[in-house]
Amino acid sequence: MNDDQPLEKIAISGPTLASIIQRFSSSEGDVDGLLFGHVTEPSSSNLHDDDHDSTQSNNSPSLVANITNFFCSNSLSSFYDSLGRLNNSILTHLLQDRQQQLIGWFVGRRKSPLRPSMREFSVSSSLFTLTTQPCVFLLLSSPVHDQLIHTHDYKAFQFMQKNGLFESKSIEVVNIGPAFRGHYGSFSPNSEFPWLAPSSGMEEDKGKRDRRVEGFEVGRLSKLMGSTASNYTSELEDLYSDMLGKLGDLARVVEKSSALVLEQGTFKLMKCKETSTRTDTML
Amino acid sequence: MAADPILPPLITAQLNYLLSHYPLPIKVEQIWSGGKAQQFSDRFTLLIPLCLDYIKWDVIYNAQYPLVAPDVIFGVEDENFHPFFNTGEGGNTKKSCLCDWNCKDPTMLLSLIHELRVQYIVYQRKKVGQLDDERLKFEISTIHPREGIEVYMNSGPDKAEEVKFAVPLLDMDLNKLVLLCPWRHQQKIYLQVIFPVSRKYSPAPTAPRLKLVCSSELKALFSIDDVKLPAWLDGMKATFFASSGIFTFLVHFSLSTQFPKQQPALVLQSSQHFNSQGTPVVSPPLIDYPWSPRWDVLKMAERIFDFLVEECLEFKKYCNDSRHQQY
Repeated sequence: MNDDQPLEKIAISGPTLASIIQRFSSSEGDVDGLLFGHVTEPSSSNLHDDDHDSTQSNNSPSLVANITNFFCSNSLSSFYDSLGRLNNSILTHLLQDRQQQLIGWFVGRRKSPLRPSMREFSVSSSLFTLTTQPCVFLLLSSPVHDQLIHTHDYKAFQFMQKNGLFESKSIEVVNIGPAFRGHYGSFSPNSEFPWLAPSSGMEEDKGKRDRRVEGFEVGRLSKLMGSTASNYTSELEDLYSDMLGKLGDLARVVEKSSALVLEQGTFKLMKCKETSTRTDTML
Repeated sequence: MAADPILPPLITAQLNYLLSHYPLPIKVEQIWSGGKAQQFSDRFTLLIPLCLDYIKWDVIYNAQYPLVAPDVIFGVEDENFHPFFNTGEGGNTKKSCLCDWNCKDPTMLLSLIHELRVQYIVYQRKKVGQLDDERLKFEISTIHPREGIEVYMNSGPDKAEEVKFAVPLLDMDLNKLVLLCPWRHQQKIYLQVIFPVSRKYSPAPTAPRLKLVCSSELKALFSIDDVKLPAWLDGMKATFFASSGIFTFLVHFSLSTQFPKQQPALVLQSSQHFNSQGTPVVSPPLIDYPWSPRWDVLKMAERIFDFLVEECLEFKKYCNDSRHQQY
């Protein structure tokens, strides 16, 4: 259960934020998705010898939420209903095999006020009970009226259960700089593909699906014309969703392999470092 | 700037139904598109009548998914209004039309807006009730059970804090009074009361502003808007008729602007005893009977009643004595 501790700020890596904005701005309509990451407690620089002061700072440690990864659904209401109640089966599916922890969610809606809506509040409140860390809500929008210069507006909030409020938090965009290593070490550069197939398709027997997709000849498409068309339309729709399912599988494979590549890269880097340290000591 | 496209047919049907069937005159401020392709518009701002004013809500549909229920963004000063919060599995959510959204039903948007407006009125009452103003607390406690009264609090960084009450007057159907009634909406005359919010330790509370208000349709017939009621002054009076056995008398209450912090002055007047000049016998003003500003309203009324039960016997004796003195 969440302990409702106030965050000092929310940190997000430049590429992750850029990637979320890119997903949103290239989508046809509004989008939502999940945010992953962790909470860190940066070592406080204002330590005092005074006992009274130190107890005070212990009571309210400055926490920073780090958003390191996200999942974009490419649509809206992907894991909740009209009232903002969570769809647990979809959410469980989205969260399975994740290395990172859920830290909140985001919504991108064009040309709308940059303040949380009725449903966004309900979803955040439901999600709060599910996460083990503070619940972050990232809202992306664009100005209601057309302007000469296009801007991407975004605002981050922390959902506070105790007073039922969204507290606006500052966002720190973390980019690579001269002293980036320590700062950037906690970020993971892999990001996932959007989820293509409907949820029911995921539990289905993969082999069965493959056979169905292979068995469809192009010649049969001609039957889409004429009186018997209605039967074939549904068949074609099934084929389409099966193909999406296959594409989804492919996306997962690509994600896994890219994660492996990353792991290997990190391993090699570490070996290099080790060797260089050894060389140093030999010298 | 190009004009915004039209709404998808299903959403148009819902909006039209809302505008033509809602008992209050709702207006659409603007309609625009949030899609990339901008084939259809899918969001609009509604101006909803509340407490003789309008509140602005943005209704956000999604042209990509017209079957999905819309979302609503409330005003900047209403960040604490959460109609579906803390209701868990039961409560408001079960009855909400959002549970069972049917986009093909044109009445859905009306149901949603009505549901939210009702909850918004409750929210405003609660918000005003939490203000630290004794006078307002008293006023609200007296009107709470009455139906149809709306309360609204103006707040914002650049606005003076004040609470508005809209009290519908007359229990008669004005539409029925006019032959061949041309009005679609129910006509009503309201008493508007505006209370400036006074904080604790502030000097004497400012008097409320009173005004009679009616719709523009009604204004064409009666000149109601011109009637400005007098401001709340020191020594406003209320009179009750009372009896103890066969002795009947009047009780005059004089209220100061500090009421209920300061107790009302009471004057008893007999209906049966007259002095030598032929005017009714009255008591001297009673101002030091038991009173505490910390009592709740019910207790205040009870204590006045208890006091009067005893005091009227004294008064009766006083009346009889003064008559005996005459002869």
